[in-house]
Amino acid sequence: MTSATDAMRIDPEEMRDAARRLLADKVDRRAGWEGRPDAGKALEADMGELGWFQLTAPEAQGGLGQPFDVLAPIYEEMGKSLAPVWLSSTMAAIDALNAAGTADAAEAITAVFEQGWRIAPLILPSGQSLARASLPMVPGVPGATHLLVVEEAGGAGALVAATAPGVTLAEVETWDLGRAYGSVVLSEVGDVACRLDAAQVLPVLRAHGELALAWDSIGGAAQCLAETVEYMLGRQQFGRAIASFQALKHRAADHKVAIELARSLVVRASDVFAVRGEDWQVLATQARILACEAYAAMAEDSIQLFGGVGFTWEYNPHLFLKRALVNQIIGGSPDELRDRVAADVCRRAMASRT
Amino acid sequence: MSEQDAIACLRIEIREWLAQNLPGNWRERQRGDDVAGFLAMQREWFGKLVEAGYATPHWPSEWPGGGRSLAEQIALFEELARGGAPRMSLFFVSLYHAAMTLVECGTDAQRARHLPAILKGEVWCQGFSEPGAGSDLAALRTRAERKGDRYIVSGQKIWSTLGHFADQCLLLVRTDSSGPKQAGITFLLMDMKSKGIDVRPIRQVTGDEEFAEIFLDEVEIPVENLVGKENEGWKVAQVTLSSERGLTLVELTERMALSLWRLVLAATGGTGDTAALDVSVARTVVDISARIEAMRAMLATLMENRIAGREAVGDASILKLAYSRLSRDFTALGLRLQGFAAMRDTGYVLGAGYETGNWMFDFLNSYQYNIAGGSNEIQRNIISERVLNMPREK
Ligand SMILES: Cc1cc2nc3c(=O)[nH]c(=O)nc-3n(C[C@H](O)[C@H](O)[C@H](O)COP(=O)(O)OP(=O)(O)OC[C@H]3O[C@@H](n4cnc5c(N)ncnc54)[C@H](O)[C@@H]3O)c2cc1C
Repeated sequence: MTSATDAMRIDPEEMRDAARRLLADKVDRRAGWEGRPDAGKALEADMGELGWFQLTAPEAQGGLGQPFDVLAPIYEEMGKSLAPVWLSSTMAAIDALNAAGTADAAEAITAVFEQGWRIAPLILPSGQSLARASLPMVPGVPGATHLLVVEEAGGAGALVAATAPGVTLAEVETWDLGRAYGSVVLSEVGDVACRLDAAQVLPVLRAHGELALAWDSIGGAAQCLAETVEYMLGRQQFGRAIASFQALKHRAADHKVAIELARSLVVRASDVFAVRGEDWQVLATQARILACEAYAAMAEDSIQLFGGVGFTWEYNPHLFLKRALVNQIIGGSPDELRDRVAADVCRRAMASRT
Repeated sequence: MSEQDAIACLRIEIREWLAQNLPGNWRERQRGDDVAGFLAMQREWFGKLVEAGYATPHWPSEWPGGGRSLAEQIALFEELARGGAPRMSLFFVSLYHAAMTLVECGTDAQRARHLPAILKGEVWCQGFSEPGAGSDLAALRTRAERKGDRYIVSGQKIWSTLGHFADQCLLLVRTDSSGPKQAGITFLLMDMKSKGIDVRPIRQVTGDEEFAEIFLDEVEIPVENLVGKENEGWKVAQVTLSSERGLTLVELTERMALSLWRLVLAATGGTGDTAALDVSVARTVVDISARIEAMRAMLATLMENRIAGREAVGDASILKLAYSRLSRDFTALGLRLQGFAAMRDTGYVLGAGYETGNWMFDFLNSYQYNIAGGSNEIQRNIISERVLNMPREK
C-alpha cells in the first residue's frame, strides 16, 4: 500500500511512457514462437535497472511507496506488447510480503532490490502443503530465485529458496510460447527463508495477480482489436475492403464495447485495491473475469476475421489467443473465480436493505 | 465548502427529503391496469419534486430549481433511484427533450410560454419517427407548407411515447424535398389540442399502452412555433436527442443495481446466502453484478469527461450498447429466477424501472433500450465507423 506523500507520487502516465519506450525497444514478441533466444531475462534485468521492482514497495525497505496506480499502465502496456516476462509474480509477492508485516518479510522485500531475488507465488490447493505439493504450470518459475508458497486452505505460508532441499523446478513447454512457465514439486521442504500467515498474504497476492492479468488482458485485447481492424482495412475481397462488410463491422464494435466495459471495471477495481477500499478482493476477481472474457472473445474472433492467414503460425492472431486463454485460466478458471466470490457478491444484497 | 462536500450535503438533504415526502403507497397507485391512478400519482410526485427544486437541476440557473452542476444532477438521480422513488415517466420528455431544446434553440417567447407551463405539469411528446422513417429518421415525409403566418401540416408520426397524454409535441416535418434529405427538415412545436390531430395509443408487447400514433390532417401551426430556422430542423433535433446527456443511463443503472439485490434477496428467502442458489445462477449473479459495476464506472468516467469537455466520439454509443445488452441479460436472469411464476400475468407497476414485480414484463420491456433512441445495430455502425474508423455504409 502507499506511503508516498502526494508530492512524491509518480504520474502513472509517465510510467506508461517509460514502459512503452522500453517495451518498443526490447520486446521481440515472436521470439518464443520462432525459437529465437529468450529475451525475457534481459528485459527483466532492464526493468530492475529502471527501478520498477521498487515502485510499490514501502520506503522503509528501500522502495518508492507508490500506489498500485503506477503498475496498472505497465501491466497494460506489457499486455499490448505481448512482453515475455511475468513481472507481476515478483510484484505481487512484494505486496504480499508487505501485507505480512513481519521483519523477515521486510528483509525479503529488500533482497528483491539488493540481491535480485525473483519470486514466483504458488497457491497450493487444499490437500497440498510444503510437505507435499505438485503444480504443473506456474508462471515465472524458470528464473525464480524464490517461491512464495501459500496454502489455500491450511493457512500456512512460507518464502522458500528455489534451491532449498525438497524443491524441484523444471521449465515446461506450454502453448503460450510468449512467456515462461515451470513445474514445481515440493517434498518435505523444511528449510524456509521466512514463515508467513496465509490469511494475511493470500488476499493481497491474489488480488494483485488478478489485476495484473486483467490489465494484461485489456492491453492485449485492445492491441488484438487494433491489429485485426488494420488487417480488415487492407484485405480486399469482392472489390472492397472486408472491413466494409457490416456483419464484420458489428462484430468489431461488439468487441470494442466488451473491452471498454471491462476496462472500466479494471480501472475501478485497481483504484479500490490501491487503497484497499470496500470490496477490493471481490472487485479484483470480477475485473479479471470480465477482462479475460473480453480478451478471449476478441482473440478467438481475430483468427476467424483474418481468414486463412489467421490459421497460420506466421500471422499473429494465435499469439493473442494463446496468451488470452492462459490469462483466463491460470490460478483459477472463470467458474472457479465466480464460485470464490459468489457468496461475497450475494452478501452485498443484504447491505442494500435499508 | 469543496465540491465533494457540497455533493455529500446534497445527498443527505435529498435522503431526508425523501424520507419525508416519498409516498409509501406509490406502487399500489401506479398499477398497470389503472391509468388514471398512474397519472394522478405522477402529477402529485412531480409537484413535490418541483416544489423542492429537484425536478429541474439541469435547467439554467435563472429558472426555478436550475443551475445545478452535472455532478449534482448525477447525485440527485442516484439518490432518487436508491431511495426507491418512482421514475418521472410522465414528465421526462417535458423536462429534458422539450425544455432543453427550448433552452438551447428556442426563442425568448417560446421559453417564457413553455418552461413555466412545464413546471406546472405540461406534458410533451416527441413526434420524430414515422412509419417510413425510423433508424433512417431523415427520410421523414410529414409535410408542412407555409401559408402566411402558419404551417399546414399533414402526415403521420408513430411510436410517440406519451403521445395520448401530451399537451404539446416536438414535431419534425419536411418543408423541402429538393435537396439532401437532412436539409429540408423543420422543427415545430405543436399544440396537441389543434384541429386535425388524431392520436391513437399503440398497445406494446407488454400489453401496456405507453406510446401512440399521431395522424395529422392539415393541422395549423403558427409560425411563431418554429424552432431554429426553416429547413434547419435537423440540427435542432440533434440537440433534442442528446438533451438527457446520459442521465437516463445513470438512473437506470442505479435502479438495476438495486433490483439485482432485491432479486437475490427474493431468490434466497431474504438471506443473501448463496447456498440457496443453484451454482450456475450464483455464477450469473457474479457476472451481472460485475457488468453493473463496470457500467457505473464507465458512466462515471463519461460524466467526468463531459464536465471537463473531453468526451470522445462514440463514447455515448459504447455506453448505450453496453447498457442495452446488459438490460437483456439482467432481465433474463430475473425471468430465470422467477421461473414459472413469471409466465403468469400478475400485473405490474408503471414507472418503476426494474421493479414492476413481474419479470416477464421487465424482460419484454428491456427490448426498448435495444430499439429506441438508435437501435443496437445503429450504435454498432457508429462505433465501427467513428471509433474504429471502418468504412462507412453507403
Ligand atoms: C419504447 C419505444 C419508445 C419510442 N419513443 C419514441 C418517441 O417518443 N418519439 C419518436 O419519435 N420515436 C420513438 N421511438 C421510435 C424509435 O426511435 C424507433 O423505433 C427506432 O429509431 C427504430 O426505428 P424503426 O422502429 O423504424 O426500426 P427500423 O429502422 O425499421 O429497424 C428495423 C431493424 O433494422 C435494423 N436496421 C435499420 N437500419 C439499419 C442499418 N443501417 N444497419 C443495420 N441495421 C439496421 C434496426 O436495428 C432494427 O433491428 C420509440 C421506440 C420504442 C421502441
